[in-house]
Amino acid sequence: MRRLIINLQLFWQGAVLSYRALFTWLRPTTFIASMIFFPLGQIMFFTLLGIYATGAQNASFFLIGNAMQITASSGIFGVTMAVGGERWAGTLMYLFGSPANRLAIFTGRAMVHVLNGFVEVLMGLAWGWLLGWVDFSRTDPLALGLTILIATFSTAAMGLLLGCLGLITLNIMFINNLIYFLLLLFSGANVPVTSLPWWMQYISWALPLTRGIQAARNVVGGAPLTQVIDLLAGELLIGVIYLVAGYSLFRVFEAEAKRRGTLEAF
Amino acid sequence: MNNTIQISNLRRVYKSHIGAFRRKLKVVEAVKDISFEVEPGELFGVLGPNGAGKTTTVKMLTTLLIPTSGTATILGYDVVKQADAIRPRIGFIFGGERGLYWRLSGIDNLRYFSALYQIDPEISKKRIPQLLELVGLTDRASEKVEGYSRGMKQRLHIARTLLNDPEVLFLDEPSIGLDPVAARDIRGVVRDMREQKKTILLTTHYMFEADELCRRIAVINHGKIIALDTPANLKRFVQDLAVVEFQVKTLTPQTLERLKALPIVDAVSVEEREQNSLVVVQSPRGAEAVPDLLAQFNGASIQKVSVREPTLEDAYVRLVNQADEPEVSLS
Repeated sequence: MRRLIINLQLFWQGAVLSYRALFTWLRPTTFIASMIFFPLGQIMFFTLLGIYATGAQNASFFLIGNAMQITASSGIFGVTMAVGGERWAGTLMYLFGSPANRLAIFTGRAMVHVLNGFVEVLMGLAWGWLLGWVDFSRTDPLALGLTILIATFSTAAMGLLLGCLGLITLNIMFINNLIYFLLLLFSGANVPVTSLPWWMQYISWALPLTRGIQAARNVVGGAPLTQVIDLLAGELLIGVIYLVAGYSLFRVFEAEAKRRGTLEAF
Repeated sequence: MNNTIQISNLRRVYKSHIGAFRRKLKVVEAVKDISFEVEPGELFGVLGPNGAGKTTTVKMLTTLLIPTSGTATILGYDVVKQADAIRPRIGFIFGGERGLYWRLSGIDNLRYFSALYQIDPEISKKRIPQLLELVGLTDRASEKVEGYSRGMKQRLHIARTLLNDPEVLFLDEPSIGLDPVAARDIRGVVRDMREQKKTILLTTHYMFEADELCRRIAVINHGKIIALDTPANLKRFVQDLAVVEFQVKTLTPQTLERLKALPIVDAVSVEEREQNSLVVVQSPRGAEAVPDLLAQFNGASIQKVSVREPTLEDAYVRLVNQADEPEVSLS
């Protein structure tokens, strides 16, 4: 029991310190401003565009989709920087030379970003509510909270997979930007998935966020948790698949780097 | 007696490709069949020029690189098959400023690495202040590392490597690039570790550092051990020589070539300084050789000539000069 408590303490300490160590390029005031105004920028742009193209009756469709998609900024950019940043800091050798539990190191990197993403989505929804684009009167807050949490987790899990690529390539920001905009298109945030060509729909369902966004729209519209549980289970499963793939790649990278002597190679 | 570090026929080959389209395989044998052992509590030095294979050897011993062939054990554990048993028992430093989280304070860096080494928080709470005290960083512990000098960063590295109270320490050029005072501080900490009976493998290319600290020294060049003995015995290797030093304002490559070509010259090395160059010539004839040597400078402005007894550095220069060129094959 004591060992478990120590491990949990270590996990928490490692997660918070690694977040501060690798993601503190913003000053606190800039960071807070980005948490408040970045969501506003995204929801305003896409919701107003959606209203212009399809009418005001669809405002909540665009608002919810884009508010949920905001989690990708933490989940993709934040997490990849947290994992790939080890290479820039020159700490990979000390990380791989330590006896630390690799799964704890790996998942710990994403933990605070999940919380970040959660807050950013809430900010996006709050802005939408203030602007009158969404009505939460029939929404179960717990179901919505759970939906946001699961979607944020699955997106961060994808970020972990991309972060591993950041350990072996210098082009990770290009990849991140590409994925971020592909998620805007494929996740159903702005275009209903059923309207996409059939082959694009396959890609949509293989990505995080798609089911989460759909579940969020249903929950905000008044659906109880039981009606979206299948979507949430699917979203969670997608997250776990990305997490396992990312962790496997992390271990493969570690083993290959030691075999080929490329731990510090760029 | 069981050796703490035991290396047998260790070898490491790096393979890489060069060129974008017509890719060529480049093969570099960084470590060639080296063997040595380090006894418990011994401070063992590995000397060698840049690219000699020192860091590659340390990386293999610290489980960060898989040897191409041969075996190495630390505290009886195999570095490849039992890496998990080795990691909690060792500490290591690679010279330079990287490897710390610059946006964290010194104390937070130690807390984080403490978490990585799975040290009980109660223990690390006591140990971290002790280590900060040991390396003289207590007053600056809560400042971000980005504001530290190079020497402070290196001292923080030393504190980091002692967090898990390791039985074996690998210090790869810990004083590289430091000013003389900071380097002396680092040597002081290394001496403390030696007093605590920790087994230490130290790589350096500062001879006086190795001479002062190490019980035995292996000189490595082009991946091979070319000498292994105590500092005193290594110095005997050049006892037949004297060293003539010329402080020269402008030194030409032709002068060096002429000096090297003289039959009375054993080895020539140059130390570049801000105002001049120091040409160090080893010769069995000592002071008698000075007129012949002076004639090779062709009237260049010589500021000072001195003759002295050989040091460990001279032994090192002689050994390294005798070694072969590296073998690199392109296929």
